[in-house]
Amino acid sequence: MNIINTLGVLPWIVLASVPPLLILLYFLKLRRVPLEVPSTYLWHRTIEDLHVNSIWQRLRQSLLLFLQLLLIALLIFACLRPGWKGAKLSGGRYIFLVDTSASMSATDVEPSRLETAKARVADLIDQMNSGDVAMIISFSDGAKVEQQFTDNRSALRRKLRQIEPTNRPTNLREALRAADGLANPGRTSVRPTDDPDTIDVQVADPLPAELYIFSDGGFDPVADFALGNLTATYIKIGKEEKPGNVAIASFATERNPEKLDQQQAFARLENYGTDTVTVGVSLYLNDQLRDADEVTLEAGKGKGIQFELLDTDVLEIEEGVLRLEIQHKDDLPLDNVAYAALNMPRRANVLLLTPKNDALRFAVATEEALKIAEVLIESPEFLESDAYATASKAGVYDLIIYDQCVPKAMPQANTLSIGTRPPLEKWNFGETTGPPIIVDTDRAHPLMQLIEVGNVVIVEGFPIETPPGGTSLIDTNIGSVFAVSPREGFEDAVLGFEMFGRNENGDVVVNTDWMRQLSFPIFVQNVLSYLGGARGSLAAPSVKPGQPVKLRARSPIQQQDADKEVVRSVTVELPKRRLGPNPEMFLCLPTRMCWAFTKYEKVAARTSHIDSPSICSTAARAIFKSPQSSPSVKPTCMANRHGSRHARSSGSYC
Amino acid sequence: MPTATPPNSLLSPALLAQLERLELVTRKMFRGRVKGERRSRRKGQSVEFADFRNYVAGDDLRFIDWNLYARLEKLFLKLFLEEEDLHFYALIDASLSMDFGDPTKLHFAKQLAASLGFVGLCRADRVKVESLGAARKNPGPVLRGRHSLWRMLEYLEGIQAGDNTSLEQGIKDFCLRNTGKGILVLITDLMEKSGYETALRYLVAQQMDVYVIHVLSPEEVNPDVKGDLKLVDCEDADIAEITVSRPLLERYKRTLASYVEGAREFCTRRGMSYLMTSTETPIDQLVANYLRRRGLVR
Repeated sequence: MNIINTLGVLPWIVLASVPPLLILLYFLKLRRVPLEVPSTYLWHRTIEDLHVNSIWQRLRQSLLLFLQLLLIALLIFACLRPGWKGAKLSGGRYIFLVDTSASMSATDVEPSRLETAKARVADLIDQMNSGDVAMIISFSDGAKVEQQFTDNRSALRRKLRQIEPTNRPTNLREALRAADGLANPGRTSVRPTDDPDTIDVQVADPLPAELYIFSDGGFDPVADFALGNLTATYIKIGKEEKPGNVAIASFATERNPEKLDQQQAFARLENYGTDTVTVGVSLYLNDQLRDADEVTLEAGKGKGIQFELLDTDVLEIEEGVLRLEIQHKDDLPLDNVAYAALNMPRRANVLLLTPKNDALRFAVATEEALKIAEVLIESPEFLESDAYATASKAGVYDLIIYDQCVPKAMPQANTLSIGTRPPLEKWNFGETTGPPIIVDTDRAHPLMQLIEVGNVVIVEGFPIETPPGGTSLIDTNIGSVFAVSPREGFEDAVLGFEMFGRNENGDVVVNTDWMRQLSFPIFVQNVLSYLGGARGSLAAPSVKPGQPVKLRARSPIQQQDADKEVVRSVTVELPKRRLGPNPEMFLCLPTRMCWAFTKYEKVAARTSHIDSPSICSTAARAIFKSPQSSPSVKPTCMANRHGSRHARSSGSYC
Repeated sequence: MPTATPPNSLLSPALLAQLERLELVTRKMFRGRVKGERRSRRKGQSVEFADFRNYVAGDDLRFIDWNLYARLEKLFLKLFLEEEDLHFYALIDASLSMDFGDPTKLHFAKQLAASLGFVGLCRADRVKVESLGAARKNPGPVLRGRHSLWRMLEYLEGIQAGDNTSLEQGIKDFCLRNTGKGILVLITDLMEKSGYETALRYLVAQQMDVYVIHVLSPEEVNPDVKGDLKLVDCEDADIAEITVSRPLLERYKRTLASYVEGAREFCTRRGMSYLMTSTETPIDQLVANYLRRRGLVR
């Protein structure tokens, strides 16, 4: 019970003097009958030892005095303004952090860890006293405030029931920040006065709260975080011993590098349990069993498996969904299934602008090149045409190669400039000098794969400096002569030396002997493959829950319609079509490169499979708030001809 | 014997008749100044023969037994038991506190003193009745013989409440003036704030047969009071405020009992006789029964 004193010292003295005065008046009022006695000697002796409690003897008989004293006492008590302000004020604010990461779906405790955690929270809600307020935050890799501070227990319970598991990794920091912002506002602001003595003023009162973290602890330690007013209690959910689990750690498809027509599916299985297990693995293509294998996994070890997808299979099916399943019963069934999309490689739309470059013309016309790209060859005059202006703006082409010509503005496409200096911001091009001697190449980059340029002779070139993020691919003694750098979803590659140049007389001169080398057609093939986007559509790397998925729509066909955006909408279909009735997708549409984000991870949660692209809501918010991206919200996606690009994901074990 | 009715109510004729048959007794043999009616241990002149002894020069020739001399031609002195009188003192505490009760304690004390004095007078004892501290202004008369009854009664009539000094002072005065032996009857209520012990201790030194008669009024023994009272001491106007309750009354009675018991023990240890009496007790009964039982009268 708290007491709010509203009286000063003087009023208190006055008030406190009332009861003694009352007693005094009572005794003054008492009129004793005088009685003469022979001697008070004996009486004195009688009442001598009664003197100690004689006053109570007197008071015992006066009910009226007691009532008056009681009244005064109640009056004084009322002046103290007693009330139950909540002695447990600090304990009256609770924040429940519920881990909803994928590992919370483990069933080592019945029915699942998340359900257990929810039951524990419900218990705590039941124990709340009236007047206590609580907040519920669910967190995986991001935090979501399920319920703001409220003392409405039924609302808390309702929101608690609505918490569903996700397939995401755990990041406690986000949740702690959310709780921290409410408990430790603690920031100060300066009072806007000219007074030099202005001191910092606390803008809000810190509100202490008790923080309960319900998690299986599958997160990294959170460093550099001050709890402040928060009293954190970690409540471990799950069994102490390690639950047995066999997971698909990654699942991806790749073109067979030796047989380019073939595709391979790679998967890596991890055994997180403590026993060696032998599991059966089945590969389904569009729900039809294609292959099966049996893998023995040692405890704590992983193993990779590989499936060959024959030509005929691929050719039969333009698009398909590969499903990999482990036939094994373990505590976390979520990661026993993985999906990968299988896409027929689409031929890239390439525009080659060159006055006369036979080597390049031949290189883009090889049989292999035709498999992956459809190349339109135009002279540099095409740059001036309206068709080029429209197409470059609309992003019709995947790749535009500028040979001996320079565009006025960079198009909505990947570009390769050969020996010219394109109007790229933040790029720096040096003076033409020579001869550059090749020192090093970046063989890891897809553009430079399988290329040996050590024997290439270059007459003259200019050094290139890329903006941050760019990669130098060929280093010479004068600097980088081949570099690539991203530009708003596209990539620009600049080759710092010409193949064919013109001298002062306008004669065509050969600047390098690269065209005669074996590496040149391979380089062109790499350019078509990488910058043309063929590789991206073909290869299907693992996508983990929470990661953004890069989707690429097919190139529009009606590119001749001037000034019209060709791509109006993109429909993203989730596997098994388990999308909710209204999954809001945020699409950045000005290009064919679409970034898709699900706003609601409930979509993912409802499917309760890691096949769904549960995409990091943090990233989604960032995109959503960014005014540059200007996302258009499509409540219902209109169907168009763009086929589904299945987002893939494989289990990530938090 | 004169049997005239006393002029006041102190002694009724019936009582007088009863008292005539009594005599004062002392446990000790005292020597009085005058020949009395009592035998003394001392040899002296009386009619009662005690012994012979040889004559030595200087003896009173009157006591020589001439008959024996005639027979034996030897001088023998005839010794007689001496008869003595008894000194009887009655001290009345005439403090204001004695002036309470109906009849007042003082009246009761006067009656008792008169009764005992009359007994003494009848037996030709030396009787002295006075109030405490009266020696200064109005010393009590020394009386002898029953004809002195009137004087005694007159004196007793004249004793007024409040004309005495404190118990201690009065007894001290008495002891200084009366050093002889005898019977002392102290009639008091012992209501002395400074305590009665010092006063009574003076009497121990006296070779007297001391009787302390503690007179209490029924109001003191059984106080009939109720309500919130302011008790005023009639002597020094001391005030005791009490709220009467049963526990208080019980406590008072316990206090009184222990007070009486304390006084009795005090007196007994010092060879004094103690008797607590209420004014309700009739005088004749007191004298004839209680005091006789105590051995004061016979």
